[in-house]
Amino acid sequence: MKQRETIALGLMALATVGTLAAIFGYERYRRATQFDVVLIARAPEYGNWDPRTITVPRGQPVRLHIRNIDTVSHGFGLPAFDVAVREIEAGTATTTTFTPDRAGEFLFLCTVWCSERHLEMTGKLVVQ
Amino acid sequence: MNRAVLQVLLAGVAAVALGAAPPAGEEHFFEVRARKFEYEPHVLRVNRGDRVRIRLLSEDVAHGLYVDGYDLNVVANPGEDGSLTFTADRTGRFIFRCSVTCGEFHPYMIGHLKVEPNTPFFTYAALLLVLGAGILAITAVRRRREA
Amino acid sequence: MSESSPTQEQAAAPEPAKEKERLFGLLDLDARFDLTRFRLIRALLKSRWMPLALILFNTFMFMIILVATLLGGFSAGNYNFGIMLVWILWWVLLMFVLVPVFARAWCLMCPFPIFSDWFQRRRLINIGEEPKKPWGLNRRWPKWLKNMWLMNVLFLVTTFFSGFLTVRPFATFVLLGSVILAAFIVGLVYEKRSFCLYLCPVSGFQGLYSQFAAAEIRRKDDAICKAHKKKTCFIGNEQGHGCPWLLMPFKFEKNTYCGMCLECFKTCPHDNMAFNLRPFGADLLVDTKLESKGLDEAWKAFIMLGIAVVFYLGFQGPWGFMKDMIRGTTLPGFLSYIAFHTVFCLAVIPGVFLAFCWLSKLASGNREVPLKKVFTGFAYTLIPLGLGVWVAFSFGIILPNGSYLLHIASDPFSWGWNLFGTANFPWTPVLTGYLPHLQGIAMLLFYLFSVDYGTKLARRIYPEPAQAKRGFVPILAALTAVTFLFLWLYMG
Repeated sequence: MKQRETIALGLMALATVGTLAAIFGYERYRRATQFDVVLIARAPEYGNWDPRTITVPRGQPVRLHIRNIDTVSHGFGLPAFDVAVREIEAGTATTTTFTPDRAGEFLFLCTVWCSERHLEMTGKLVVQ
Repeated sequence: MNRAVLQVLLAGVAAVALGAAPPAGEEHFFEVRARKFEYEPHVLRVNRGDRVRIRLLSEDVAHGLYVDGYDLNVVANPGEDGSLTFTADRTGRFIFRCSVTCGEFHPYMIGHLKVEPNTPFFTYAALLLVLGAGILAITAVRRRREA
Repeated sequence: MSESSPTQEQAAAPEPAKEKERLFGLLDLDARFDLTRFRLIRALLKSRWMPLALILFNTFMFMIILVATLLGGFSAGNYNFGIMLVWILWWVLLMFVLVPVFARAWCLMCPFPIFSDWFQRRRLINIGEEPKKPWGLNRRWPKWLKNMWLMNVLFLVTTFFSGFLTVRPFATFVLLGSVILAAFIVGLVYEKRSFCLYLCPVSGFQGLYSQFAAAEIRRKDDAICKAHKKKTCFIGNEQGHGCPWLLMPFKFEKNTYCGMCLECFKTCPHDNMAFNLRPFGADLLVDTKLESKGLDEAWKAFIMLGIAVVFYLGFQGPWGFMKDMIRGTTLPGFLSYIAFHTVFCLAVIPGVFLAFCWLSKLASGNREVPLKKVFTGFAYTLIPLGLGVWVAFSFGIILPNGSYLLHIASDPFSWGWNLFGTANFPWTPVLTGYLPHLQGIAMLLFYLFSVDYGTKLARRIYPEPAQAKRGFVPILAALTAVTFLFLWLYMG
């Protein structure tokens, strides 16, 4: 009987703390192993690109994970390195990989008309 | 007497279902402006067999227009219209809804396409009245029997 | 409640012998099919792991929902796991299956009160040793609040914010968080499941519509209960707790306040509890001293109808200005929506219904019967119809939006996960072209139930059969009019 209570408590812990640990542990592992940069996309009035400046080393492939946590679609364009993600729907995420072969500062921008201030939705890529 | 009522009602249903034949194939053009979270005009009225052309314009962000029952979809960006042409061969009132997530109320962005005559509605409404009259009749008959 | 109540057991006044009542003149309303005749089901109901296993599973689900609604922030809900699971899947399951078929089956598996149960009992699954004095203040719920009024108000107030709750993940997080917190705090102060019984916003309509359900938990044999002097189902024993929902399992007749927690299956030493399947709506006719029909339940029925109208206009209708009011783009707009909604639900619908009841009394020719009795009694005819309205409404939720469930199952936190490979499944409306037909069929079907129970209720309200028949005609007109109104809303 004692044992039954212990099992129940164990399951309860698993359902609560275990769930949290699993969720955040898995995401942490994913980010550590699969991406170099995580970028959040939101229309300018709701926070814009976050971060707005990305710094990466030259010559190494960059795995860029873009999460659209907004209520409308966004796109991602980095003309200097011919990177274009046509549409990232609201609430979805996408990953794109490119290799910056030149040092300098480059513009990236949203490519979907997402709000009245769509044109302000830009950011800076710094290649060192 | 009750049977007579029933017959009249059934005749009504039949008349509506078979329909006064619709004037064949008029053409309707609608310029539908979409903005968060409504269409203007929000009710499109046509007759069965009509040719329907819809030009979808967006006034703020990307919107779509998906027509229930016809399974048609069109998307418009600001400054980039969408267009849709089809023959309204299914009668009834169909919801058309936004198909591009356009904001928090997106799932509720809705318009109505009414293809007259609205046979489904008339059918169910007539059925309801028939049922109601039937129940009334049964009640009346039973009363007489019990009295 | 203490041990004193069961001893007050008074023999229910013997009903005058009457002919058997049949649903649609076919199905004997007293017909029952006891599922405990199957050994496996009996064992399951008697196991202490039921319903705990289901509660633990839902605790797990709601942990995910809470994380998703918290991280989802104030943005679009249609790609949020929490919003989709709560307002699309859970709500629709409630209206389609859980309530109309299995009564309060959701309460059976609801995870929210687990923390207060755990605290009060000091055990998660076991019963614990003597003395079994529960923790917490363990106060009794005030008698004047032992009804649905508080839940009516709380549910109505919750619906004021549906323009946020159903679309903004964080709003749902706040709602769920407050319910979980309130359940715990109320559990510290008041005894057992007082929160579930008299406060939980979604408890009221589940209780009301459970009267229509095709399932019930009841004693098998009255004689065994009468002979069993120590009412272990009420006070508890080493096998289980005394009824957490403060019912008397040995005599209750109505689903309304039975949370289906299954404790009485465990505490009954005679295996005298049954899990019955029964004809739909059997409880609508119950009106005993202990479980009388009341205005609180009548108003719950009105509120549910009113909410359906307002939600339809606001959410599934084509009118943008109403959406702006509901989502609070301007404060005056939002306030006028609240005002209209409240007056419509609490005053207009009951007022119109009262008019029909007055006509009913007039038509019956009976001057003695109190108008209140006519009004309260016939209000129960709105229960099947209301359920039909919500079934129809729910088709309009699930068919267009159901496909999002595939996406959110694979990517619950919008982090780009793809657990089941369905993260990129596009939005696909399913059978939405048949929406009007499904809604029409649902309305007509539940209309028939309402009318059938209306005739039966009329016979209970008016003493003479002839009066009952005449008095039923205005009610028939009212039910037909309501059904017509909803047909017109849904497809006209």
